[in-house]
Amino acid sequence: MTSEHRDIVERFGDRAARWAFIRPKKPERLPIFLNRGRIYVLPTSFGLFIAGVITVLLLGALNYNNNPAIFLAFIIAAAAHNSLVHAHLLLSGLSIKTLHAEPVHAGQIMQLRMRFDAKGARDRQGLELVCDTSEEKFDLLAREQIEITIAIPTVRRGWMLTGRMRLSTVRPLGLARAWSWLRPDTQLLVYPALEAQAPALPEAQGEGSQTRKHSQGEHLHQLREYRHGDAKKQIAWKASARGENLLVREYETQTAKEVQLDWFSLSPLPYEARVSRLARWVVIAEQSACRYSLRLPQEFIASGSGLEQRHACLRALALLPHV
Amino acid sequence: MLLQLPTVLMFVFILILALGFFHQKQLPGFVRFLLVALLGATVMTSYNFGIGRDAASAALLAMLALKPFETHSQRDAKSLLGFSLFAPFAAFLQDQGPITLGLSVIGVLMCFASFAALVQNLLQISWRSLFKSAARAGLIAMPLAMSGFWLFPRLPSPIWGLPENALGGKGLGDRMEPVEWLDKLTDDSIALRVKFLDKTPNRNQMYWRGPVLTRFDGSAWIRDIGAMVRTPPSLGIQGNLVSYEVMMEPSSRRDLLVLDLPIQVPNNAKINAEFTAVTQAPINELQRYVATSTLQPIFPEKLDALDRMIALQLPRDRNPRTREMALQWANETPDPILLANRFLSWIQKDFKYTLIAPLLGRNSADDFLFSTKRGYCQHFSSSFAVFMRSAGVPTRVVTGFVGGDYNKVGSYWMLYGKDAHAWDEIWVEGRGWVRVDPTAAVAPENILDTVDDLNGSKNFAESFFSSTLQTSDWLRRSWNELVLGYNAARQKDLMRPLGLNMDDAKQLIFVFIIGAGTALGITLLLLLRQRKEDLHEVERAWRIFIKQMRKKRYEKFSHEPASQFAKRVAELYQGKTPESAERTKQLCARYTQWRYENRQFDSGEIKQLVSDLRQFRLT
Repeated sequence: MTSEHRDIVERFGDRAARWAFIRPKKPERLPIFLNRGRIYVLPTSFGLFIAGVITVLLLGALNYNNNPAIFLAFIIAAAAHNSLVHAHLLLSGLSIKTLHAEPVHAGQIMQLRMRFDAKGARDRQGLELVCDTSEEKFDLLAREQIEITIAIPTVRRGWMLTGRMRLSTVRPLGLARAWSWLRPDTQLLVYPALEAQAPALPEAQGEGSQTRKHSQGEHLHQLREYRHGDAKKQIAWKASARGENLLVREYETQTAKEVQLDWFSLSPLPYEARVSRLARWVVIAEQSACRYSLRLPQEFIASGSGLEQRHACLRALALLPHV
Repeated sequence: MLLQLPTVLMFVFILILALGFFHQKQLPGFVRFLLVALLGATVMTSYNFGIGRDAASAALLAMLALKPFETHSQRDAKSLLGFSLFAPFAAFLQDQGPITLGLSVIGVLMCFASFAALVQNLLQISWRSLFKSAARAGLIAMPLAMSGFWLFPRLPSPIWGLPENALGGKGLGDRMEPVEWLDKLTDDSIALRVKFLDKTPNRNQMYWRGPVLTRFDGSAWIRDIGAMVRTPPSLGIQGNLVSYEVMMEPSSRRDLLVLDLPIQVPNNAKINAEFTAVTQAPINELQRYVATSTLQPIFPEKLDALDRMIALQLPRDRNPRTREMALQWANETPDPILLANRFLSWIQKDFKYTLIAPLLGRNSADDFLFSTKRGYCQHFSSSFAVFMRSAGVPTRVVTGFVGGDYNKVGSYWMLYGKDAHAWDEIWVEGRGWVRVDPTAAVAPENILDTVDDLNGSKNFAESFFSSTLQTSDWLRRSWNELVLGYNAARQKDLMRPLGLNMDDAKQLIFVFIIGAGTALGITLLLLLRQRKEDLHEVERAWRIFIKQMRKKRYEKFSHEPASQFAKRVAELYQGKTPESAERTKQLCARYTQWRYENRQFDSGEIKQLVSDLRQFRLT
């Protein structure tokens, strides 16, 4: 939501979020429960306009002691007032159970997944989660949970906090907005940005010196017991038929390459450039099914491959101290 | 409010609204300008270029009708909705009846529904849920609105004045001129309702006294300002007093209507030297008052010299023929009563009553008495007064209301605008002021038309439904009494039994806060009322069973299937009472079967399971 769509009162509320007494005062641990101590309610600018209309109507009606008019003005006033209370009640009792996000590279959009839950048997409609510039609208029905995904931009590698997120609603009549700030202390990992045009991987060493077991390849190495997640076509049906358990074929292949990614070999480059080049190499190495190891100033990640290896390397790179 | 507009305007507005609804594209600027100009002209011509409340209300409606043409964003829609809240209030300026209020409440609820629609995804709106939420908002607003209505401090008097022509001219003026009165005589809206508290006087004694007109300038009868402030001569009383309660529609005049002649009037009014009850402030809202009158007053012996002078004053240069005849007749019959009777018998013989009276010239009494000989109450009373004054008898014109219809449903009298009347009073030495109604002397066969004829005769349906009409007027009266008559004074009365003095600002605010707080409590209760879970009876019984188990310290975890729970309980209980353990297992098994297996339970089985679950106790 861009700022010109926000009305005056909303902008005021957003600015006031930085004031010291606005809760929550510091990031908090999940799950977060929304109680009345942290729900703020103000009329929307439309609400203010209607309040002005009501004031004029009521003054006129009282002046002429026009009883139906007084009555009607009070109905509108009461409905407007109730919508303040109602908006509060829509938020009160909500809780944020979990917050997850798959790591992305700095500069990319991170998809934040949050699970909401609520006490009581009330339907909570028209909830709106605003995080920085993105917003997400959802309804939370009674006795249900909902997981919503909101996209947030990332800037810097390393641990990231979501910052202040605003959960708000203008229901039922759009005259009042209730909101609460969420500041989960959950740290989200942001991988380093990838260098745009990185040179090719460094020369491989010890080519073909090691063998490893792999599920596909030319030379059958051995049979082993079926493990969850093995592909169907690997199953050795004939061998399995003889015994009690399913058996799976394992092959032996020669790995194509063994790459050593070394921090110190990039010494002419500036610090952050090294980080993003190494990150790019990790990604390339993983894509070309190489085995790779990573040497960092404080750390050494032994040779390996697969998603876990990739994550370990990128994580180590992401958490390198900033200079 | 649309209904209160002239018919032409009504159709034009509806047409424009429909156009605005179907025409979604933005109109070019000059077309819009043309529309505005045309509509403005239509409105102005319908109100004869007068600028007043009605024209302003119509203009407001015109603008609201035009607005949809240029409503393209949410912002436009919001301002349109906000301003449309003014419409019902404009309607209330003209009519405050229950139907108007009902329609307005519906209008406001529709506004709420539109508010709700604006904050929802337009593609997923369901109209039913919208109106449900609007009705809910209205309902929940009731307690707070009620407390505001009854308890919010009312203004004892307006801070600023009323808009011109804000109120219907049901009041009798300070002047009486031939043409002016016709409007009043054809007005068939209610002017006052009267309920006699003990004894009802005869119908021919029901003269409701309003302004007394004593000064005559040749064409118009006007009030004597001096008499307004002088105190009345003291009256002697004989016979029974008559007490009555009047509910008087706003007249924007200061005269309360009281039965001839008033003895006691409400606190906010005073009886002046002419026995008119005059209030301190104009009557701009419904008035409810109790007053007492006597039908047989005893006046002082002598007429005050000033009063006599005023009651004999006549312009010298007018009505020579009337003056001449008056002097001649006075010589022949010096007794004022006999003289008056002689005049009345002349009227009975020669004069005709009609509302379509010819215009009179400069010598109005001469023209009426000797040439046209037809007219209505004001011609008769005016000419009679000129005649009697010329004959040397102090005379004055009294305006007010006469007659009325009896409402059997509410047992009260209804007096309409058309019941307005003018009669005369002559001073008779030894008797005081004597009422003479020359109009009443017209022979029945000489009554050519009446107000009812002029308005179109009562048709069959109307007479058939007259009882319905009476009921509806009675309902309207109750509405007036309950709702419209509520003001600062009644608010004070309401608080008095509670020992509260509404003049004290602190107490007043206190009462309002307490009331509003209570209402808020009720509101919260309504808001928090949670949706009842729609559970099957077996499910409900199961919950009772689980609760029962928890009481015995066997908590069923939410992740635990029923069968596993049964197993656990049974193991724990096996040693003590095996049959209880067995029964728990069995019940859980039956529940699981009902809940998760595809087998259909018949109603007997379900009943059995429910009662078993409900009655189960661990021993």
